[in-house]
Amino acid sequence: MIADIWTVTWKEWQEFRDQLLSLRRGGLSALILALILGVIAPVQIGPEWVHSKIVVAYWPFLAATMVSSLIADSVAGERERHTLETLLASRLSDSAILIGKIVAAVLYGLGFAVANLLIGLIAVNVAFHESAPILFAPRQFIVTILLTILASLFMAGVGVFISLRASTVKQAQQAFGIAIIVLTMGPLLLFNALAPETREDLARRVAGVGEARIEAYTLAFLLTLSVIVIGAALARFRRGKLALD
Amino acid sequence: MPATGDYAIRADHLTCDFGPVRALDALSLEVPTGIVFGFLGPNGAGKTTAIRAFLGLIDPSGGRADVLGLDTRRDATTIRTRCGALLEHPGLYERLTATANLDFYGRAWHLPRGVRQDRIRELLTRFGLWERRDEPVGRWSRGMKQKLAVARAVLHRPALVFLDEPTSGLDPVATVGLREDLAALAAQEGVTVFLTTHNLNEAERLCAQVGVIRGGKLLAVGSPESLRGRRDSGRVTITSRSLTDDHLTALRSRSDVESASADNGRLSLALRHGASVAPIIAWLVQHDVEIEEVVKSRATLEDAFLDLMGAESTVSPADGAHQ
Repeated sequence: MIADIWTVTWKEWQEFRDQLLSLRRGGLSALILALILGVIAPVQIGPEWVHSKIVVAYWPFLAATMVSSLIADSVAGERERHTLETLLASRLSDSAILIGKIVAAVLYGLGFAVANLLIGLIAVNVAFHESAPILFAPRQFIVTILLTILASLFMAGVGVFISLRASTVKQAQQAFGIAIIVLTMGPLLLFNALAPETREDLARRVAGVGEARIEAYTLAFLLTLSVIVIGAALARFRRGKLALD
Repeated sequence: MPATGDYAIRADHLTCDFGPVRALDALSLEVPTGIVFGFLGPNGAGKTTAIRAFLGLIDPSGGRADVLGLDTRRDATTIRTRCGALLEHPGLYERLTATANLDFYGRAWHLPRGVRQDRIRELLTRFGLWERRDEPVGRWSRGMKQKLAVARAVLHRPALVFLDEPTSGLDPVATVGLREDLAALAAQEGVTVFLTTHNLNEAERLCAQVGVIRGGKLLAVGSPESLRGRRDSGRVTITSRSLTDDHLTALRSRSDVESASADNGRLSLALRHGASVAPIIAWLVQHDVEIEEVVKSRATLEDAFLDLMGAESTVSPADGAHQ
């Protein structure tokens, strides 16, 4: 099973790699993004870019956005390019195909975040040379990486679930766009809909919980959501129906 | 009766319904191992549905099928492990190179690295694609893609290969090339090939046995020769310079002649079923007709196929399923 998941992940990566190596097909966008996020932004912000608590939320969010840009293509793209039926006619299991695609997307999001974090770190150290190297606080770095993995996992799960249902990549992207708006704006709108005193009370309670607990709850929440959404995608994966689509 | 192992595919009243549409209608079929079997039929006849059902990609609504002795409902994964398939589309990853496409499926079938590399080289060389192995296949012609897709289907040395219209959409040169490759492949690898096509010439050249399907119903099955025999045309062309209109009128009135026509000294006769040409020759000779040549034309598979298509409405599935 692990070998099969890795086989699908390998194939997905071969396709990403080709896209990244081609300037015309996405390599240029990736380079521009790396320049803005990994060099310009850190140099403008300075050492605060390394120490700021915002990093904990910023990188998971960016990684999830990157995952969203390609995961809609995962199943709908195979269907559109007529490669899905051949894949389904292979000996690979449903779960190996689905999880392999999710793992590839998560690695893509994680790779994007880690690469930019490292480039940014080098840029800050070069631009603001101090006697001791400027480094991330270990705990903050680990939490950032864990959140990046889980945010990417959740986004990949949602994307695969939507991609399974969509008949074209365009349809999948449209549905995914709406899902992202609902997922990001929904909690904000709900929070604003609360009575002012309730909002204040809630904010006070959250502040009182403490940083470590908020991080732990967020990780647990994202993990639970990811498990639910990936489970739903696996339950929806019907080889016969997909072959007929 | 042959044992189960003697058959690569055994279908018993296999039925597949998609809503109100019956795609396969009580298909009963036996495909012996080690042969190239051609499944003929017009578009929408149920050929692709049959392949999907045999690969366990869809569950039949009724009946059952055993592929390589395994039940398609229960053992679909094992069947897919032991089979190869080129389906309706080549199914290649166009951004990837030929090597990467084959490497992916080689990994999927757990071929060890060394074996995988040797096999990829062997197949790409055999199909004349080795020199272009590092190009993304999106740049290739359709014929080259089809060859690569066939290579992918046999990469893991399956016991049974399904090829769904492998030469569809190819130009005549590419068609002949791929057909020759398929024939060589089937002979060298010793696999059972289940080939769907509506190219009757292809079926006649490649297949040891053919089945004819229409509207999900199997109309006939047997060797191309036996199918041609079913529809022996009974057409005879006689070349003679002394044939008159009176001879023609007399021939038309004979009970063993269905039709007769003459054009530029060539008499074309269609004999009634089971009739022999010998008494007609004897009669012509008796009536002072100097015969230069008698040619009995052989029915082609196309004749037999078109005959079956025309007679489909009068053939019951049970009748049609027998040789």
